[in-house]
Amino acid sequence: MERKSQESSENMAEIAQVEQEWIATTYGKEKERRQEFSTLSGLLVEPLYTPRHVAELDYLRDLGFPGQEPYLRGVHATMYRGRPWTHRQLAGYGPPEETNKRYKFLLNEGAGGINGVFDYPTLRGYDSNDPRAYADAGRGGVAIDTIEDMAALFDGIPIDTISCSLVTCQPICNISVQSMFFANALRRGVCLADLKGTSQNDFLMETAVTISPEVFPPWFSFKLSCDAIEFCTRNVRHWNPISFAGYNYREAGCNAIQEVGLVLSNALACSEEMLRRGLKIDDFAPRLSFFLSAQSDFFEEIAKYRAARRLWPRLLKERFSPEDERSLKFRFHVQTAGVALTAQQPLNNISRSAFHALSAVLGGAQSIHVDGYDEALCTPTELSSVTALRTQQILDLETRVTNTVDPLGGSYFVENLTDKLEREISRFINEIDSQGGIVEAVNSGFVHREISDSAYRYQLSIDSGDTPIVGLNCYKMHEETLPCEIFRIPETFAIQDAKLKRIKETRNSRVAEKALAEVGKSFETNGNMMDVIVQSVGALVSEGEIAETLKKCAGTWDPPLF
Amino acid sequence: MVVARALRDAGMEVVYVGNQMPPSIVAAALDEDADVVGLSSLSGNHIVLAPEVVRMLRERGTKYVPVILGGTIPRDDWPTLKDSGIAAVFGPGSSLHEIVSFIRTVHDAQKCKN
Repeated sequence: MERKSQESSENMAEIAQVEQEWIATTYGKEKERRQEFSTLSGLLVEPLYTPRHVAELDYLRDLGFPGQEPYLRGVHATMYRGRPWTHRQLAGYGPPEETNKRYKFLLNEGAGGINGVFDYPTLRGYDSNDPRAYADAGRGGVAIDTIEDMAALFDGIPIDTISCSLVTCQPICNISVQSMFFANALRRGVCLADLKGTSQNDFLMETAVTISPEVFPPWFSFKLSCDAIEFCTRNVRHWNPISFAGYNYREAGCNAIQEVGLVLSNALACSEEMLRRGLKIDDFAPRLSFFLSAQSDFFEEIAKYRAARRLWPRLLKERFSPEDERSLKFRFHVQTAGVALTAQQPLNNISRSAFHALSAVLGGAQSIHVDGYDEALCTPTELSSVTALRTQQILDLETRVTNTVDPLGGSYFVENLTDKLEREISRFINEIDSQGGIVEAVNSGFVHREISDSAYRYQLSIDSGDTPIVGLNCYKMHEETLPCEIFRIPETFAIQDAKLKRIKETRNSRVAEKALAEVGKSFETNGNMMDVIVQSVGALVSEGEIAETLKKCAGTWDPPLF
Repeated sequence: MVVARALRDAGMEVVYVGNQMPPSIVAAALDEDADVVGLSSLSGNHIVLAPEVVRMLRERGTKYVPVILGGTIPRDDWPTLKDSGIAAVFGPGSSLHEIVSFIRTVHDAQKCKN
């Protein structure tokens, strides 16, 4: 049944007329400071928004109430009145014994969950002493080579009660490292069904964002990702087996529209694959989770989160007819944008990240990581980590923005921008559909080209000053003393190298060889790779050994470079 | 890749090899008879890998090839890098224009010498 919009059409015509007069007379008398005002993704923004801009909006159809369709105003009914978003600060550097200390420090200071990052060798499937990786051991995250490292990483951490996010970005990493986490949990007597957490496990990371040679072919990276989703659906009910990493596509340079378009296309493809494997949509959809950025265009980010929250259930219902309402919830973690921070005058980043975090809160995120002020310089120090955590706590406890759900709902500007973004994102998803879906769009280089084009445009706009960045292209300080220490990664290569040599010498080599052979056999029979690897890691085989075995089976692929 | 595009737009021939280790970078540079090699490092591995590229180019090449480096390079590391032979470091926030200008200058200077 068509419902009347709030303002009658005569009233709307009158408002439009007064608006025209206002622009011609009152507004028009003053100068504007730019030729054009637009969002970061290039959508034009008008001087003022009025009921005319939301004339087609029907409150019950388009906004509704939180915790139920259309979910625009929030995935849960009470949102932050019920409980705050999880304050989930990243930690990871050096050998696992070191990161274990940072985990405990953050938990002591009030962090709500673990958020573990892994070093570049681990993300790429290399052992710490691999000739291709030794210069990066312990950098960018913690070094994990075998299940022994996983045990050290979580030593003394109650993994049966605390939710653990594993930022195992790429399937080549996730398939081994997540398996090690599960196998270690079982060794500690924890049931898989009791574990709560999230793994990133996003094939786009491996094939379209990292731009490294000799990665898995897109079809195999996608298969590994889906194997993990299937394994968790069957065995680890409270685990989110994938966190579609829009944040990382954004850091690589795409805009807000592409960010959400890519995560949703990826999620649709995973859903189709799960159905092809015989699962029902409601078996796994409730556990598909999303990971988005909070960039500097404050209102565009808020509108982006809201648009995604309304669009996802619409797409699911159109394509898959879910029956469980939990399948319809677009649950997301936010990281404040690293790419928006500067090495110049780094303390300014505390302000930037606070604004970013505020947009995530006003946008209804389920969990947040705030970047440290030294993000553009080094891995966070203890001081920058705890300052970032305090930003979350101040937002939650002092600003009272959490007093009501979706406080910006009904804003003419925000609702208009939400609608616009939803339309643009839909258009981008249709474009990917017309290419044959996300895996094909990666094979063809379409995704790489889209990201590269946006990244280049963004950099040009900074260089020209069109996108001002305080301290960088304006308000520069020519003599700067760095107000913060640069974190130096503790020695990692020597420690991990010694550990790996010891393990390989002392383990039962027959059992280890058999475990790797089983991995190869499972590939031949198109088995679920996580099923077999969760067993294999107990034989003390390393991540590198597993990855090499898989590369021999599936081959490798070089992403196109633009 | 953003830098590669800017250099191409400025009329330079760019061979972009993506994420590679020093032996592959040097092999490509020698194969292509590169005039300049540009490196990007965001992980902190620059302190080990960038000097290695310089060293290998010296050992295997027949002409001087300036190596420039960009990325998350702490200022404290710049003297060590310069001592090891890195021609210039472009820290976070460097403009594309600065990089293009530098390459033009250093390339023109080399052309005069040879």
